[in-house]
Amino acid sequence: MATTAAPIKTIFRRPESSTGFWSWITTADHKKIGIMYGYVAFFFFIMGGIEALVLRIQLSVPENTFLTAAEYNAMFTMHGTTMVFLFVMPASAAFFNYLLPLMIGARDVAFPRMNAVSFWIFLFGGIFLYSSFLFGTTGPPEGGYLAEEVSRLGSSANGGWFGYAPNSGAQFSTGTVMDYWALGLQVLGLASLISSINFIVTVFNMRAKGMTFLRMPVFVWMTTVVAFLLLFSLPIIAVALFMITADRQLGTLFFDASAGGDPILWQHLFWLFGHPEVYILILPAMGIVSEVLPTFSRKPLFGYAAVVFAGAAIGFMGFGVWAHHMFSSGVTPITQAAFGLATMAIAIPTGIKIFNWIGTIWGGRVRLNTPMLFSLGFVAMFVIGGLSGVTHAIVPADWQQTDTYYIVAHFHYVLFGGAIFGLFSGLYYWFPKLTGKMYSEALGKIHFWVMFIGFNLAFAPMHWLGLNGMVRRTWVYAEEAGLGPWNMAVTVGAFTIAVSILIFMFNWWWSRRNGPESGMDPWDARTLEWTLPSPTPEYNFGVSPVVTALDDFWEKKYTTDDDGRPVRRENADLIIAELEETGLNPPAPIHLPAPSYYPFIVGVGVFVLAYGIVYNTRPWGIPLLLAGALIVIGSFVGWGVEPLEEIHEEHHEPDHDGNNDGEPAADPTKKAADG
Amino acid sequence: MADQTHAPHPTPRLYVQIAILLAVLTAIEVGLFYLERYVGEIGPSLTVPALIILAIIKFVIVVGWYMHLRYEHRLLTRFFMVGMFAALALYGAVIVALLFTADIL
Amino acid sequence: MADLAQADIGHHDEHESTGIDNRKLGMWVFLSSEFLFFGALISNYLLFKGRDFGYTTIFPIELYDIPFTSISSFVLLMSSLTMVLAHDAWSTGDQNRTRTWLLATAMLGMVFIGGQVFEFTEFVLEGMTLTSNPAASAFFFLTGFHGAHVFLGIVMLLSLYGISRRSEGLTEKQGLNLELVGLYWHFVDIIWIVIFTIVYLIP
Repeated sequence: MATTAAPIKTIFRRPESSTGFWSWITTADHKKIGIMYGYVAFFFFIMGGIEALVLRIQLSVPENTFLTAAEYNAMFTMHGTTMVFLFVMPASAAFFNYLLPLMIGARDVAFPRMNAVSFWIFLFGGIFLYSSFLFGTTGPPEGGYLAEEVSRLGSSANGGWFGYAPNSGAQFSTGTVMDYWALGLQVLGLASLISSINFIVTVFNMRAKGMTFLRMPVFVWMTTVVAFLLLFSLPIIAVALFMITADRQLGTLFFDASAGGDPILWQHLFWLFGHPEVYILILPAMGIVSEVLPTFSRKPLFGYAAVVFAGAAIGFMGFGVWAHHMFSSGVTPITQAAFGLATMAIAIPTGIKIFNWIGTIWGGRVRLNTPMLFSLGFVAMFVIGGLSGVTHAIVPADWQQTDTYYIVAHFHYVLFGGAIFGLFSGLYYWFPKLTGKMYSEALGKIHFWVMFIGFNLAFAPMHWLGLNGMVRRTWVYAEEAGLGPWNMAVTVGAFTIAVSILIFMFNWWWSRRNGPESGMDPWDARTLEWTLPSPTPEYNFGVSPVVTALDDFWEKKYTTDDDGRPVRRENADLIIAELEETGLNPPAPIHLPAPSYYPFIVGVGVFVLAYGIVYNTRPWGIPLLLAGALIVIGSFVGWGVEPLEEIHEEHHEPDHDGNNDGEPAADPTKKAADG
Repeated sequence: MADQTHAPHPTPRLYVQIAILLAVLTAIEVGLFYLERYVGEIGPSLTVPALIILAIIKFVIVVGWYMHLRYEHRLLTRFFMVGMFAALALYGAVIVALLFTADIL
Repeated sequence: MADLAQADIGHHDEHESTGIDNRKLGMWVFLSSEFLFFGALISNYLLFKGRDFGYTTIFPIELYDIPFTSISSFVLLMSSLTMVLAHDAWSTGDQNRTRTWLLATAMLGMVFIGGQVFEFTEFVLEGMTLTSNPAASAFFFLTGFHGAHVFLGIVMLLSLYGISRRSEGLTEKQGLNLELVGLYWHFVDIIWIVIFTIVYLIP
């Protein structure tokens, strides 16, 4: 009983179906978009992971010859670029997309088709970036820059994820790989910018009745702060990327020191974006942890307001510390002092969050399910990473640490032990809501412990490897340095992580097929998404909720006794049953945003446009560029005039086969009835 | 679908008056430019602040009346200001940092 | 039970928590990010404009034709007037006037672009190109991106004009689009106010 609307005749009839392959291509449903972000992000996680393993094989023994220097440069560049732009950011986007409307009691985001376009631009941007492995060159067409031919493995961006000029400029990076990098990032940035506008308007405008700002879940707050960080930092790198592309393609002189340009300008512009970027990477995970810890401690978040304001403060202050990435780049002592101080200051709101999380667990009735293990792991690992971070804030110390593995240790502790652990916590936590099934707790715990051990084995030694002088971004290290044994340990740790990920993937796949039904509220949780049937119905809420308190759902289920302990209300089960019933059988017709082809086509257009720019000197380059531009503009016109068809959901059954396609298990009669 | 009932909505007449004001301000700016260039150093120290102030006035007028921000929900003003001040602060810092590294380049 | 009885039986959730239309809020949010975009371009120019490396190539500041650019600036300012008159006309239901003022705005925009093209051509002929020196690169980048924004604005204005020529003219929904394009157009104008002062007028 999917759609009943009559089609309106336009050039392309607006699609109607909510099932099947094309429903994914044309979807404007935030949940489907979130799922697609999730799977694509995970695919790139594997890619980035393989790049890491390849790097670690090379570094496992001194003076290894597994990779050439050129290949090594490509691998570490793509590892970083992939993990930042193609894994952590889109994985966070997956969570934002799926959960944000649910947590604020909305049916979708403010601009559903724009939401879809963000995804398609991201996907095509990622494919474009990776296609450099197939098509990219590290030398001019008439002959390689390096003495030997560079293999396909070495033919991708190789200037580091930060692409410092003038190394990334036309003189020192001949060939096309850095064009792929600059344009790829430009495209990816565009996707995120569009998303950020969407999320800000959604949070400000689409909250359910009674959901004031200070009743929003912390995860929603962190999403909002991240959206503002994206909004203000992405334009900066957009300009920088335009400048480097122009330097490379048009011969402008922004970063050409011999002509009066300024390579340090690149560093400023990049890190003005780059530092807020790392808070963009960590805040979503902090938001997830702030939801998981209270649920599994059976206690409210300690100091909700403080956690919220600390998150906002981190976001705000994150704009003021960028030059701490430039302490050894020749900035003046005053600059170094100012940014060193600012960097130390940012530890304060971070510390507030840590103490509040500990306060949440303290005295609670803690259940150590897998999501909780990962969240606890987050707190511990992030503290370690944060401590090494504070040592970088001391400028003279940083002069020793910078460009060594000590820095690598720091950011992997905060990004892997922090962000990635947080994301896994969320994946396990919301698995039931997404699929209607429960994952295997045993496999989940094994995943955690193997990953925890592997992670620490991989990254703890980097602290002393770095302090003992092991340099970053170099494909070999000398035999005499004595760094071999610990490097081998690191490599073993990396492969251990890989094993844990295989365990996770198996758990995910197996549990989706065979896991027991989870029910609506398997964790006895606090926020609005748990008032919905599992898996989430296509229309989200059968009836829009009215919110009367923070953790409104918990308040419905529990009151507190004189000692402050939660006491289950008598009618809690009745309320839950009613919520499930309304969720499955909405009392009134519900309007949903209709699907559309255009977001997908815009993605294609941007993809074509990007190749046109890279190859603009070829005879087919400019035509390709124009074709791409026309496709994009044409799609926006089509998008603007397509009729606002709406799907009417009158009845819905739970998605028993767990494939989240909006239909219950295959029923031939139902399929025939579908138009 | 603006449900807002804002009080005094500018009339076309007011819009035209504003346009005339903007034109006059621009003329003054250009006048100052020539004054400084041809009549000599009356004070480049005066010209630059004066030009900046005039530009700010024009800016505020267009934003407040043409973009209607004066009559809109306060939230829109706040969003606008945040972006503007963020840009001023960040790029101000970059310019200061780069102009004081003259010894490097 | 009581809560559910009070709950909103979900029709099209038209209520916006802030009372501001989604698309309007979205446009203002977008415009605030544009400050960061143009700020970078302006900063680049400020950084490079005074860098004297003993260049043999020409600097932008030597080539400015202030009377010409003043007229361009005036044209753009007047286009903001026509834009706001178009919106006003629409809000009083006068579709004809709306069309007229829309077209006028687009045409003034095209005059501005024409002026920019002419100015750039002059500069190139006098020996300053995109690649002459960093200051030139920064100048062309800044004014070029501004011009690209104006160009996109003209495209949107002409699209609206095209839509307004249908029998039903500009509907309620399209009226909001008119306001949004207007906001974008005024923003591009105020950026020019900043550029004109900082780039051209300040010694």
